[in-house]
Amino acid sequence: MTPDASPLPYTDTKPHGHADFYFAINATFRFIIARFGYDKLRQYWSDIGTSYYKPVSDNWKRDGLTAVADYWRAFFAAEPGAAVEVIKRDDEVRIEVRTCPMIKHLRDKNREIVSCFCQHCHFVSEAMAAPAGMTVRVTGGNGTCVQRFILLSRNEPAQQLGDIKEAA
Amino acid sequence: MIGCYDFCGHYEWTFEWLRQQGGDVAVKAYWDESIHRDSQTHASKLITDKGIEGMKEYWGPTLTDEGAVYERTVTDDVFRIDMHECPSKGFLIRNGLHQFKDYCDHCMGWIGPLMKDAGFVIDHEHNHCGQCWWEMRRANDNTAASKTAELSGDHDVRLRDDWKQPNTDHYDRSTDSDDKSTLP
Repeated sequence: MTPDASPLPYTDTKPHGHADFYFAINATFRFIIARFGYDKLRQYWSDIGTSYYKPVSDNWKRDGLTAVADYWRAFFAAEPGAAVEVIKRDDEVRIEVRTCPMIKHLRDKNREIVSCFCQHCHFVSEAMAAPAGMTVRVTGGNGTCVQRFILLSRNEPAQQLGDIKEAA
Repeated sequence: MIGCYDFCGHYEWTFEWLRQQGGDVAVKAYWDESIHRDSQTHASKLITDKGIEGMKEYWGPTLTDEGAVYERTVTDDVFRIDMHECPSKGFLIRNGLHQFKDYCDHCMGWIGPLMKDAGFVIDHEHNHCGQCWWEMRRANDNTAASKTAELSGDHDVRLRDDWKQPNTDHYDRSTDSDDKSTLP
């Protein structure tokens, strides 16, 4: 696939990212909580989904669930150590994360993981999905989880944060 | 999920988000507290414990993994990097990403305090186009920064035709991201 044809909005010259950058993502969450509080971290997640990932939302709005599936397949292919299956159905895209690359790397390197770390997958993705007429539900976490991108028209029950495990 | 493949993109976006929440002081605190003292503790330990040898151990694998095009010149007294293609700034340029006023400041923002703790000072310039050079010396070594090609020969980034750019930032025996002058 040529860079221009990539479902990813921002592309690099190398096929995979550098896993040690996961340290910085985890540290960023910790810094925002310590300096501004948890509510501001939730705002950060929503803002990054709405702003930085807007090109992804635009693709999803234009091309629907096919674009969602294509994006996540390309996304996890570029994350080192990910073991993920992306399944497209008529009214949802289901992502089965068998090995979360971030949690695995942070654990392997003995890093203290922010306890609410796995919530970011819900809040960032929800902010990306909402403008495209979709909503996101996450169950599990702490290394393995299921993420579902669902058409809003299905009236899915609200996300319960208790369904997302704390990371450790 | 926020990933590592496009890390430099959302990292740069985060600088501007933090500036809007807490001003420049929040960004500077982020580089020190979050990157230097949390994310990059492995770098801090290597360099604090081993000095220049630790710099070799840290930057060798890291810059290779990140896809940098660079040259390293090391003596008993100085650790020099000539960065010809910064993978981080290059990613931003190629993808047209520019939220924060000076992305390049982040390197001095976390490396500066690290070097201060480890007993080193930094001479450094970056041209905002993906090229820069660094010289790290012990704080009690008053040797001035090298002249062009004096230390790294043909590898000196300052020999490039495209090195000189308007508003190149210059640091002289510094460890503080605010401690810069801008060359015309």
